[in-house]
Amino acid sequence: MATHQTDPLQHPEVQQASLRGYVAGYGVTMIGLLLCLLLTESHALAPLPLLSTISGIALVLLIAQAFLFFGLDFSRYHIWKSVSIILTVPLFVLSIGLTVWMFHELDGLTMLPEMPGMSMQPTTLQ
Amino acid sequence: MMDARATLPEKQPELWHFGHDGHDPIATKTLGFWLYMISDALIFGGIFAAYGVLDHGMNDAGGPGAAQIVHPVAAFWQTIAVLTSVLAYSLATVAMKTGNRSGVMLGIVVSILLACIFLGLEFNDFATLFAQGNTPDRSGFLSVFFLLIATHGLHMMFGVLWMLVMLVQIPRFGLNADVVTRMLNLRLFWQFQASVWVCVYIFVYLRGAS
Repeated sequence: MATHQTDPLQHPEVQQASLRGYVAGYGVTMIGLLLCLLLTESHALAPLPLLSTISGIALVLLIAQAFLFFGLDFSRYHIWKSVSIILTVPLFVLSIGLTVWMFHELDGLTMLPEMPGMSMQPTTLQ
Repeated sequence: MMDARATLPEKQPELWHFGHDGHDPIATKTLGFWLYMISDALIFGGIFAAYGVLDHGMNDAGGPGAAQIVHPVAAFWQTIAVLTSVLAYSLATVAMKTGNRSGVMLGIVVSILLACIFLGLEFNDFATLFAQGNTPDRSGFLSVFFLLIATHGLHMMFGVLWMLVMLVQIPRFGLNADVVTRMLNLRLFWQFQASVWVCVYIFVYLRGAS
């Protein structure tokens, strides 16, 4: 039997707001970004490992925000939000990853290999 | 002619109902807005893809690259401002749970102030770059750099405008179903800005400086 609620403040979307969750999401994000900043400024890692590390931290922070800020789960009230974002993730990977990969390969195939001292030369547009 | 429904078993679950019975406008509207936010995120995905391609020495066209124009330590102040603004608004929705209208208003005001600090820092960055002649038309890299940062900044400005509207609507209409739905959608929108900023800060500011 259906129940009829008349108070919008009792709606599950309203009641999902969580002081602990929001503060945790804020703390995790700030700490993660501060860690990335320290890693970058200290030059402790070579560029490629650094990029891999901070990209991994970014992924962790986005997942943490999905749970702690957006409150995504597989409950009755959030399952379609969770499903829609899960189905959209491959679109992000394909659109960004394939575009960058394609142009990276194109650059390698069409541009002349860099000669010693070439990077010091001005480009034709200068 | 025999009614097809008459052949159905007694306990079939109801698939739909004409009318308002069982209808949940708050959940329907927030799900609709969530789907809009996903499409908005795909716009950012397209811009990030373009940034990944154009963030290359060849596209600097003699102008500065990312390493010359980004300042991760200075941009961390923007990080603090935007994340604290998101926290303040989120806490406003915690206050909304109990109908604490003054708590909601306070959270929104703090959120607006922090968002204005964020936007002020961003305008200052843009003004400095423009004064140095680093305008969007100088190179492909600068075009996509300004496009990415400004798109996020425009979202922040729209969020501030939305919050100002809520500051008028809450005292005027109270926390009725329409106002509560707008507050929930704005929470999605504002928290989404924190997620976008994580990507901007890491892939533009930190990657650029590394």
